[in-house]
Amino acid sequence: MRSVAVLAVAIVVAVLIGPLFAPYDPAAINIPERLSPPGEAFLLGTDALGRDIFSRLLHGARWSLGLAFMISFIGLCVGTLIGLVAALGGRVADWVVMRATDTFLAFPELVAAVVIAGLMGGGTWSLIFALSVTSWMRYARVARGIGLSLQSQGYVIQARLAGLSPWSIASWHYLPTLLPSLTVVWTGMFARAIIGISTLGFLGFGVQPPTPEWGAMLLDARIHMRSTPLQMIWPGLAIVICVLAINLAGDALRDGLAQRDTSE
Amino acid sequence: MIASVAGLVLRAIVVLSGTAIITFALLWNAPGDPAQAIAMARFDALLTEDVIDQVRREVGLDTSFWRGFVNWVRPLLVLDFGNSAVTGRPVWPDLWAAMTYTFPVALAALAIGLAVSLPLAILATRRPGGFLDRFAVAIASLGTAIPAFWLGLLLILLFAVQLSWLPAMGARTAAHAVLPALTLGFGIAASLTRIIRSGILEARGQTFLPAIKRRGVARKAIGRDHIAPHAAVPVITVVGLELAFLLEGLVVVEVIFGRPGLGSFLTSAIIARDFPHVQAMVVVTALIFVTVNLIIDLIYRVIDPRVGGRHA
Repeated sequence: MRSVAVLAVAIVVAVLIGPLFAPYDPAAINIPERLSPPGEAFLLGTDALGRDIFSRLLHGARWSLGLAFMISFIGLCVGTLIGLVAALGGRVADWVVMRATDTFLAFPELVAAVVIAGLMGGGTWSLIFALSVTSWMRYARVARGIGLSLQSQGYVIQARLAGLSPWSIASWHYLPTLLPSLTVVWTGMFARAIIGISTLGFLGFGVQPPTPEWGAMLLDARIHMRSTPLQMIWPGLAIVICVLAINLAGDALRDGLAQRDTSE
Repeated sequence: MIASVAGLVLRAIVVLSGTAIITFALLWNAPGDPAQAIAMARFDALLTEDVIDQVRREVGLDTSFWRGFVNWVRPLLVLDFGNSAVTGRPVWPDLWAAMTYTFPVALAALAIGLAVSLPLAILATRRPGGFLDRFAVAIASLGTAIPAFWLGLLLILLFAVQLSWLPAMGARTAAHAVLPALTLGFGIAASLTRIIRSGILEARGQTFLPAIKRRGVARKAIGRDHIAPHAAVPVITVVGLELAFLLEGLVVVEVIFGRPGLGSFLTSAIIARDFPHVQAMVVVTALIFVTVNLIIDLIYRVIDPRVGGRHA
């Protein structure tokens, strides 16, 4: 839990304070200094319009990480709700929910997101919709699985006999038990969302230029690959570092939980 | 057995119908008037409302959602994908041509993935925690963290721009397929290494192994007859996931390398709002995916006798 907490704080801090350290305005066009190499004036160089890449990276965190946080959180809420409906709603609800989950899983998630965002015309809102709609299924499966196993626990049966509504059983007894496992799923989905956002941005179906989202920055940088190859390194490196850190935190959390479960 | 197979097939049909409904809902609600798009493509001129309305009626877009759905899905059931809204040519030959560019790269990527991950995982688990093991884990973590499109760009930068060993754009020769296959193969190798490694480690931890060892069975025989089948179960279940990864990777990788395969087919169809192309691609992808998962489920039941009707 500690690693995830540290990570969450680090990301929130980076997203909130990072832009304050940006030496330049990320949108300030400076044609005379275009495509300059990394140096004293521009820490990581400038892009084709003379914008400072370091400043754009810092501001881009707000888009790449902030949106990924939002999308994975939407998926977490929607998926948990759907999974709990399946676990608590009886056999018919369970069948409908699980077949819907299968249907959404029957298609590679990122391809589905590309189709949805593309048909909606691209842009930030289509991106959020497309990636959220394709990211709730894992949460739903986990929530339903654990929910079903809780059904026969003594305290849940007692709560039901005491006349608690399914809604309060879900929020008082199910959610606290579910939370650790869902957090593990969430770290994985958060990392996937970062890659998804940058991929859609790179294909031109996501956040649109001149917004300094990391994938869109790579799309810009690709054209000048021959003259300034370094320009293409930085945004990709930022993505890889963030995804690696999140995945490692998720692994640590999962191992910690497994240890706790065996020692109990 | 027959009942559970029938259940699986029924489930696949439900899933495919669900995909069809969602796809149609997306096309039905897509911004921009599809009738206008078709009319524009057909007559290649600015049109009056009259003509567009005629096209709308002719194509069956003037009805209710469900009637429109029935009209839309009927030809798809016999895999009749109609004509492109942009070029007017039949969809199927173009789709097939795209597949001929995609399949060799996908297969090569799978081969690379297996050729790297299998030996790496087996060698790594000889000494868990040793140097090779840590190397394998590092490769696996890195491979899942690198977006396919960035890896592709880096390979172009290194092998095409800096060293000029390999061509980057197009699909004329076999050499053009090397970099795309490497890009996808690395991701597959990474995730397979992770899964095979943990599969072997888990199989090693099984309680029946010490008993067999004490009975004097040779180490090689234990590996072949007991550990390998045990580790194979999780590997087979993730073949479906690998396929998803391949398809996702192909979409971006083909765009980067300018290969006219399925990924480029899809993205250019979306940009041109060529709905018949988009829906053909969606239907084919869903069909492949559901069929492969169905086959995996069946194999799974055969090799792992513990799996029966209980999780249906």
